[in-house]
Amino acid sequence: MSAPLPTAPLVLGIESSCDETGVGIVRGTELLANAVSSSMEEHVRFGGVIPEIASRAHLDAFVPTLRSALDTAGVTLEEVDALAVTSGPGLSGALMVGVAAAKALALATGKPLYAINHLVAHVGVGVLDGGDLPENLGALLVSGGHTEILKVDALASDVTLLGATIDDAAGEAYDKVARLLGLGYPGGPVIDRIAKDGNPKAIRFPRGLTMPKFTGTAEAPGRHRYDFSFSGLKTAVARCVEQYRARGEEIPVADIAASFQEAVVDVVTSKAVLACREHGMSTLLLGGGVAANSRLRELLAARCASAGIALRVPRPGLCTDNGAMVAALAAQVVMAGGRPSGLRFAADSGQPVTAITL
Amino acid sequence: MASEQAVWTAEVRTDDADATRTLAARLGAGLQAGDLLVLSGELGAGKTTFTQGLGEGLGVRPGIISPTFVLVRIHPSLVGGPDLVHVDAYRLDSAGELEDIDLESTLATSVTVVEWGRGKVEQLSDSRLEVTLLRATGAHAGEDLVFDFDETGEADPRTIRIEAYGPRWAAVRPFGS
Repeated sequence: MSAPLPTAPLVLGIESSCDETGVGIVRGTELLANAVSSSMEEHVRFGGVIPEIASRAHLDAFVPTLRSALDTAGVTLEEVDALAVTSGPGLSGALMVGVAAAKALALATGKPLYAINHLVAHVGVGVLDGGDLPENLGALLVSGGHTEILKVDALASDVTLLGATIDDAAGEAYDKVARLLGLGYPGGPVIDRIAKDGNPKAIRFPRGLTMPKFTGTAEAPGRHRYDFSFSGLKTAVARCVEQYRARGEEIPVADIAASFQEAVVDVVTSKAVLACREHGMSTLLLGGGVAANSRLRELLAARCASAGIALRVPRPGLCTDNGAMVAALAAQVVMAGGRPSGLRFAADSGQPVTAITL
Repeated sequence: MASEQAVWTAEVRTDDADATRTLAARLGAGLQAGDLLVLSGELGAGKTTFTQGLGEGLGVRPGIISPTFVLVRIHPSLVGGPDLVHVDAYRLDSAGELEDIDLESTLATSVTVVEWGRGKVEQLSDSRLEVTLLRATGAHAGEDLVFDFDETGEADPRTIRIEAYGPRWAAVRPFGS
């Protein structure tokens, strides 16, 4: 006789895969607290995340962030049913801080600990905003470090990677183009803003991996049918900027930003919709920090609507890295009867999406 | 160090990204544990493409993507050879900041490839290859502005210059004169 599965476990989740230190608390699918501390300002000087700075910042921020989450949720560590932590993918030094903290908490409290996949947690967070996720679900994750299309057959046990970038992540392309245009770091928000004053059709930039030799057909898919490449786009922007410089002419920054953004968003949305159609996915969930991009949301909404695909976009505070998403996915694992990970697992900077828990 | 002379230099032209990858694979096949390569070239010159080719030649786990976000990626060998340690040093200002990412710990057992590493990593080894990728730069004065950069399958040539420094390369010359 086994005990019935818990219906609404109280779970505390820890996230430290990049530059945000997050501690979130959920009860089943209900969000109780989502405390996040970011070391982003310290990275601005370097034009990107520096792993060692991030690791030190996680160390400093962890206890205050934990306290803040417990206070907001109005619960104590003793009341928590389970602990969860991002074990990967991410920056290894940053992941290690969260994993060590989580193991220490688990050891001190005797609570079960779940090692959670960061990318799948970006999908799992959907249950906190809009309720249970439907069947036939796909996910598009776009952030500084990731550009992926996932097929989610069972949130707690069956996720497949359909496509990913073969060179730069989308957010990284934004950062590099911002560098080329002299716009600073991070590139996403500033390009999104400046693009509003530019003509997205002024310059035709390449849509990576969209030629038939890469995509093939639905019946005979090419090697990169759902994959992304932003390296050629970055080169094209560099060439475009150079030609103005060579002639001593003013660089049309707004038109370049708008045309660049259009190229990224066009290829990301069209490949996501293509994957949904060809894999019978009737709902698409958008996650990751670039989900805040206004043009991405606009074009994805339009293309999903015309393809009859329901689009779910969790609110911005849940799309960027946070601890609530880790807690939310762990709660799903607990409710599905998944086993805790114990204390022997290690952070895995390359953890594949098929490893939802360790 | 300042007066250091290259033991040899080679210059090769490639017509497109595939040719760059093939050339790098040829070089990669002859690399050994402890080798250091410093890659230079503007954004989009093909440094990551070149490294993908090196990885093919070395026989490391495929899926080499830009290391910009994570600074360092280690690609394990699939053939019992050296691993490939792929570094983006653009955001690191000094040798001191590079020390933080501890390349020395993997140097002896791996091939270490550092993008944007010139002036920062030379002290890691007594020998190195400096690879410079040059893209034909934009329009010259008088030419019309271009507004269509779509993928056309047209040639996208690069000039790749390799300068060898130190005893490791004195008697080893992977490319003809």
